[in-house]
Amino acid sequence: MEKAKISSYQLFVLMFLFELGSALLVPLAMGAKQDAWIAILIGMVGGFFLFFIYLRLYFYYPDIPPTEYAQRIMGKWLGRCIAFFYILYFAYLAARVLRDFGEMLITFAYPETPLFITNTLFMLVVIYGVRKGIEVMARAGELLFVLMYLLAAVGFVLIVASGLIDLNNIKPILEEGIRPVVKTALTQTLFIPFGESVVFAMIFPYLNNPKKLKWTGLCALGLSGFNLAIAMAINISVLGVDLATRSQFPLLSTVQSISIAEFLERLDVFFMLALIINGFFKIGLFFYVTVTATASLFKIKKPSSLAYPLGIVTLLLSNTIASNFSEHLQEGLRQVPFILHLPFQVIIPLLLLIVAFFINRKKSSKQKNDIHR
Amino acid sequence: MPSFFKRGKQVKNNPNKKDGINHNLPQPLNISLAVNLDFINQKTGNSSDIVIRTKKIGTHTQLTTAVLYVEGMVNEQSIQDFLIESMMNNSKDLNALGPQEALEKLAEDVVSLGHVTWVQEWDALFLSLMSGNTIILVDGVKKALNVSTKGGEKRAIEEPSSQVTVRGPRDGFTESLSTNTTLIRKRINSPNLWVESMQIGRVTNTKVAMVYVHGIANDKIVNEVRRRLKAIDIDSILESGYIEQLIEDQTSTTFPTLYHTERPDSVAGNLLEGRVAIIVDGTPFVLLAPAIFIQFFQAVEDYYARFDISTALRFLRILIFFISIIAPATFVAATTFHQEMIPTNLVIAIAAQRETVPFPAFVEAAMMEVTFEILREAGIRLPRAVGSAISIVGALVIGQAAVQAGIVTPAMVIIVSITAIANFATPSFAMAISARLIRFAFMVAAALFGFYGVILGLIMLILHLCGLRSFGVPYMTPIAPVIPAELGDTFIRVPWWALWRRPSFISSNRTRKGKNKHPQPPRSRGIVNTDMEQGDRNES
Repeated sequence: MEKAKISSYQLFVLMFLFELGSALLVPLAMGAKQDAWIAILIGMVGGFFLFFIYLRLYFYYPDIPPTEYAQRIMGKWLGRCIAFFYILYFAYLAARVLRDFGEMLITFAYPETPLFITNTLFMLVVIYGVRKGIEVMARAGELLFVLMYLLAAVGFVLIVASGLIDLNNIKPILEEGIRPVVKTALTQTLFIPFGESVVFAMIFPYLNNPKKLKWTGLCALGLSGFNLAIAMAINISVLGVDLATRSQFPLLSTVQSISIAEFLERLDVFFMLALIINGFFKIGLFFYVTVTATASLFKIKKPSSLAYPLGIVTLLLSNTIASNFSEHLQEGLRQVPFILHLPFQVIIPLLLLIVAFFINRKKSSKQKNDIHR
Repeated sequence: MPSFFKRGKQVKNNPNKKDGINHNLPQPLNISLAVNLDFINQKTGNSSDIVIRTKKIGTHTQLTTAVLYVEGMVNEQSIQDFLIESMMNNSKDLNALGPQEALEKLAEDVVSLGHVTWVQEWDALFLSLMSGNTIILVDGVKKALNVSTKGGEKRAIEEPSSQVTVRGPRDGFTESLSTNTTLIRKRINSPNLWVESMQIGRVTNTKVAMVYVHGIANDKIVNEVRRRLKAIDIDSILESGYIEQLIEDQTSTTFPTLYHTERPDSVAGNLLEGRVAIIVDGTPFVLLAPAIFIQFFQAVEDYYARFDISTALRFLRILIFFISIIAPATFVAATTFHQEMIPTNLVIAIAAQRETVPFPAFVEAAMMEVTFEILREAGIRLPRAVGSAISIVGALVIGQAAVQAGIVTPAMVIIVSITAIANFATPSFAMAISARLIRFAFMVAAALFGFYGVILGLIMLILHLCGLRSFGVPYMTPIAPVIPAELGDTFIRVPWWALWRRPSFISSNRTRKGKNKHPQPPRSRGIVNTDMEQGDRNES
C-alpha cells in the first residue's frame, strides 16, 4: 500500500465515475426490453447489499487491504490463493473494459486503426495515472467529475430540445410482469456495474474518514444507479426498444440523433470523449487495484514499478480476450457474470464475511472472558 | 546513467574543491596597515575600482589611517561629507591617543553615519567592502571599522512592463533589494511584516530576503522556504529564476510552481494571504511561494474591479488558456478525422480552401505555429528602432500573402491568429509560455489520433497538474482537492464583503475581516448629505 489518504468526497467521485464507466456505453439490461431502467434500479438495490458485505469486511479490518485480510481470515495459503485469483480477476476486468473502449473507438471514429493501437494509447495514459498514485487520480476525478456532469446536463438539454424523446417507447411498463426484469437485474445489472464496486474494498483503507464511508458509498451507488437508469430510459425512449437492443453503443446512437439548428449535430464524438474520461477511471481503478494487490501479495516495496509490466499484460490480454466484438459482448453479458462475477463479487466476500464474523466473535468473547477473569 | 550522476554528485560534495574565493578559514587582520593594504590589493588583483585613501590624522601622533570603498557601490557624497571631512575637522581630538583609542573615538564621535560596526576578519571585511560599505583601517589596530555607506546608481521606480493594469498602482519593483522591501513595507505598515536576509552564492554573495507577515503566514511553509533557501549551494544567483529552479518541488514540468511578479501590490496581496515572498537583489522579479494553478489566472486588477466583472474576466481567461492549448489541435483533429462534426456548409468551404494547399492540416498548422513563434521571438530580440519591421513582415507571413501563395488555408490563419492572441491574453507569462509548449504536443496527438489523442492528452495533462505540488500544497487546490469554502477566489471572485477568509491551505490565520461587512447604506431613499425635511426630495 502506498502512503496516501483520500477524502470521502474523493471516494464518492471515484465510485461514481467508476460505476458509470463502461455501463453507460454498452446496451445494459436490454434483456428487460423497455423496462431496462427498472432492472438497473433493482440491480442498484442489490448492489447496496453487496456494498454492505464489503463494508462489513472493511470494518473488521480497517487498516489492511483484502489481499491481507483474506490471509488472516482463511489462513495463509488459502488466503493467498484467493488474493491471487482476485488479482487475475481485476486484471481481466481491466482488460475487458479496455477492450470495450477500444471497440467503441474503432466502431465510431477510427475504422481503420488497429485495435492494438487504440488500446496501447489508452493503456499508456492509465499507466501514467496509476504511477502517479491514488491521490492524484482522485484529484483528477474531482476535476473531471464536474466536467462530466456539465456535459451530461448539456446533453440532456440538447436531447430534450431536439424533441427526440418519445415516452411511448418505454411503455408499457412491466408488460410481461416483473419476472423478466428481476431476472435481468439479478443476472446482469447486479454484477455490472454495481457488484464491480468490489474493487473499492482495496481502496477503502486509504480513506481518511471511515465513519462517512457508509453514506458515501450508498450515495455514489445510488446516484450512479439513477443516472444510469435515466440514461437508459432516454436511450430507449429516443431509439425505441428495437434499435436500442441492436445498437452496440446505444448512448452514442442517441446522441448522434441530436440535431439542433442544423449546426449542433453529430455530437457523438464529444460524448465519446466524455465516455473515455469515465472509461479512464474504470480501467484506471481496476488496474490500480491489480497493481497494488500484486504488490501487497508479493511484498513488493514500490508498487509503481509494477505498472509497466502489468500494463503490458493487461494490454495483451485485452487484445486476445475475444476474437471479435460480438464474442466479447456475449462473453461479457452471458458467461462472465456467472463464471467470474458471481463467485468473486458475492460468494467469496460472503464466505470471508461469515468466517470473519465467527473469528471476531471468538476473539471478542475471549477478550471479554479475559476481562472477567 | 546512475554512475554518471553519482560522479557529478561526488564532485559537488567535495568540500576541498570549492572555488577558494571567500572560503578560506577566517583569518584575522594584521596589525600593520601596510601589510593589510597589500593583502587587500593582492586579493582584489589591484582592481581599479577599489579606492584606497590613506591619510594621516592627528597633529602629533601622526596616525596613519586608510579609507577603503568600492567606487560606484557607495554613496560618495556621504563619504565625503560625513566621513572624510569630519575626520579632518576632528583631527585635533585624536591627538595624543593610541591607535586603538583613536579608532574607537572615530567610531563613536567622529563618523556621523548611521550604521557602524567592527570587523576583525578578512572574510567579513571583503564581504562588506564588496557590498558597498566603507572600511576604515588604522595602523596598529587589528580591527577595522565598517561604515554603512551603501549607495550607487539605482533605477528609478517605474511602471512594471510585464504586468500592466488599467486600474491600480503604477509603481514596480526595481533591481535594488532595499527599494523593493521598502515598496512592500509602504503597503503593509505592520511590525508583523518580517524580513529575513541571507546571502546566497559562493561567488556572488547575492542578498536574498524572505518576506512574510508573521501571524498570517503558516510557520511550516515559512520554515520550509527557509530550509530550501539555506540548502542552496551554488556559485552565483543572478536572477530570481535561479532560486526558483533550485527550490521548486517538481523539476520535470513546464508549469511554474512559484509565482513571480514585478508588482508590489501583488506581492502585498499575496503576503496577506499568507504566502512568503523571496526578493533577490539585482532583479525586479519577486518570487511568491506557495503558488497554485488558479493564481496564474488572477490578475491584480481582479481585486480592484467589481466582483462581477472580475468573475467574467476570470472565466474568459480560463477559456483563453484552453484555446491557446487546444485550438490548433482541435482544428487539425476535426479536419483530419472528424469532418462529420463540422457543419456541412463549413466543411465544404474548408475543403474548397484545402484543395489548393498541398500539405496535410498538421503540417500546415505546425508550419504556421512555428512561423509565429519565430516572429514572436524575433520581436523580443529586435532593437526598438526596427521593431515596426517585424509587424509588417509578420502580417505578410501570417496573412493574405501566405494564403495567396497557396501554402496555408485562410481558416488555418484564423486559428493560428486566435491562438496567438489568446496566448498573449494569459496574465502570467510563465503560464502562457508553458501553454505554448504543450500546444505542440497536443497538435501531434491530434494529427496522429484525432480527438482521441486530444482527450487522452487532456487526461494526462490533468493528471500531471493534479500531481504537482508547490511547497507541499497540491497545485490544483482548492479545485482538486476541492475545498468548498475556498472556492470564492478561484474561477469566480466573490465581492470583498463576502471574502472574509484567507485560504486555509496557505495561511494559518484564517480570519481576514469581520463577518458580515456588507455595505450598509442608510435605509432612507434620500440623498445622504443634504439636511432633509420630511417629504423633501424624498422619492418615497
